[in-house]
Amino acid sequence: MKVTFGRAISDALNEEMRRDSKVIIYGEDVAEFGNIFGLTRGMLEEYGPKRVRNTPITETAIIGSAIGAAETGLRPCIELMYSDFTTVCFAEIYHCVAKWRYMHGPEYKLPLVIRNASGSANGAGSEHSNCVESLFMHSPGLTIVTPSCAYDAKGLLKSAIRSDNPVLFCEPKLLYQSKQEIPDEIYNSDYTIPLGLADVKRAGTDVTLVAIGLMVPRALEAAEKLAAEGISVEVVDPRTIAPLDKDTIYQSIRKTHRAAIVEEGNKTAGIGAELAAQFQEELYDELDGPVARIAALDVPMPYNISMEHYSIPDANNIVETIRGML
Amino acid sequence: MKYENDFLLKLYKDILETRLLEVKMTDLYAESRVPGHIHSGTGQEAAFAGVLATRKPGDYFKLPHRVVASAYLVGDPLDTFFGEILAKKTGNSGGRGGINHLGRLCDGVLGMSGTLGCDAAIPVGAAMTIEAEGRDNVAFFFVGDGAANRGPVYEAMVLAADWKLPVVFVCVNNEFAISTPAVYSSSVPNVLADKAAGYNMPSVVVDGTDVLQTYEGASKIVESVRAGNGPAVIECKCYRWRGHFEGDQCAYRDPAVTEKWIQEKDCVKNFEKTLIEQGVLTAEQAKKMREDFDSKMEEAIAHAEAAPEMTADEIYDFLYV
Repeated sequence: MKVTFGRAISDALNEEMRRDSKVIIYGEDVAEFGNIFGLTRGMLEEYGPKRVRNTPITETAIIGSAIGAAETGLRPCIELMYSDFTTVCFAEIYHCVAKWRYMHGPEYKLPLVIRNASGSANGAGSEHSNCVESLFMHSPGLTIVTPSCAYDAKGLLKSAIRSDNPVLFCEPKLLYQSKQEIPDEIYNSDYTIPLGLADVKRAGTDVTLVAIGLMVPRALEAAEKLAAEGISVEVVDPRTIAPLDKDTIYQSIRKTHRAAIVEEGNKTAGIGAELAAQFQEELYDELDGPVARIAALDVPMPYNISMEHYSIPDANNIVETIRGML
Repeated sequence: MKYENDFLLKLYKDILETRLLEVKMTDLYAESRVPGHIHSGTGQEAAFAGVLATRKPGDYFKLPHRVVASAYLVGDPLDTFFGEILAKKTGNSGGRGGINHLGRLCDGVLGMSGTLGCDAAIPVGAAMTIEAEGRDNVAFFFVGDGAANRGPVYEAMVLAADWKLPVVFVCVNNEFAISTPAVYSSSVPNVLADKAAGYNMPSVVVDGTDVLQTYEGASKIVESVRAGNGPAVIECKCYRWRGHFEGDQCAYRDPAVTEKWIQEKDCVKNFEKTLIEQGVLTAEQAKKMREDFDSKMEEAIAHAEAAPEMTADEIYDFLYV
């Protein structure tokens, strides 16, 4: 069957809501309206107003209440609408959600998921187009997940909801409509994908390209183009950005001896900056050249759509960077 | 109102023991036996004891910044209490959290954020669990007059009121946010209670140095919250006897005013006098209660001081558990 990324998110939520009555969904416009991307449509009717709830525009209270609900026995899967709004409740996530178990002791289980729609969206402007993963990578205790395809989105969201640790679940907005062919029996099999496990999306021998979220399909497109030129690219999708599956990524780099990272977020202090630093610290002798970072330009996202597209890496940018590495 | 002697003695025991604990904390700090920072709540014991006397099993607590009295009253054993404050493995998080993060989930303690106010909605979430399970419990949120000015407190009130959840917002107004007087930072005399009406919440203002008056005011409000009428606000008026932190010279306030509060509004001394006059308590009983608790504290402190500290190989424990 052909499944969109958005539908996979919906299906994961529905399956977990049916499986476990402790799972609840709340956030801005998730009930009658069914979320601004339509992902929770019909859930209010199926699960009732105590399990699917609209909140006022109170981001700090959405996060705070999720902590209180989670530690006392519910499993809130909350949503903040745009990832950009994590900055409104930054302290609640950075200080409270991430550090809670460490500061108070392991009996304080925190099964909560913060869903957020991340990245660009064709004209959403500077405050509705950000990727926030790198902001929160600086926050030990938080699990950060960014899926890149429908299959992964479903399996990872189910694992996130079942986890007793808090998860920031980033959903690239431009992927919501992307389709993937998945056999029915697999899609409907209640499968999960473990948190903290990367996936090699394409095998290759010349360069390891670590790609995140929206950049994964673009990396695969670039790898296809480069293959025609005789350059073999291995595309690795970390899927979970923190804690990072170093084993899978390092295994790839030990094979290719070249590494690049591509992300939708800004370049400076981005995910690529951190990964490049780790690679040179831990794999220096394996690397035959500098680690390349391919990322959004360091500008607030312009409203002008052609400039928005220009500021974010596309397959051609990736092709050019990788050609330059060889 | 007429109360059973046992109840009055229990209230007295609560304020006496928490006073002794507060004083012990500042003494330990002065002797350099506390590794971190402490913020004394001496003089405010009746506010916590009076409100918490309305609690029942299954209630939840978001403890305040001046945490000593409430942490002890809701059930943190002295060994765990001193273990965490002295950063030992016997503390609730083995010394990872410290004094701002005391307590145990099994006692209903929800934890606390050192970034005061960021935790305001945590009891709102606990109240969602209470609602989902159909219990008649409540979740208490303790805040000072300083953090009561923060936005997250009002977002929490909006959400609790909107969903009519059983949350009791308790502002212990000790008149100072570090050096800034409440009268300077608040346009209304009752920092939180005067705003309750805007959230359609009932409120009560009590003398937080009078344990019985605090209990009486709180119990009516808590009863209403338990009955499913939605959240409410209690504001306890008291005074911070000591500085914001130990070593604070309090140059920003008149020492004569502080002295007057200590002389006239000492919750322990005043309640003790009343109970003795009423024949509920004798001076000998009071003396014995002090001695008993002193020896309990000494024993717990000795245990904590002898307990091991976490080691470097345990530093990542409790992360991604």
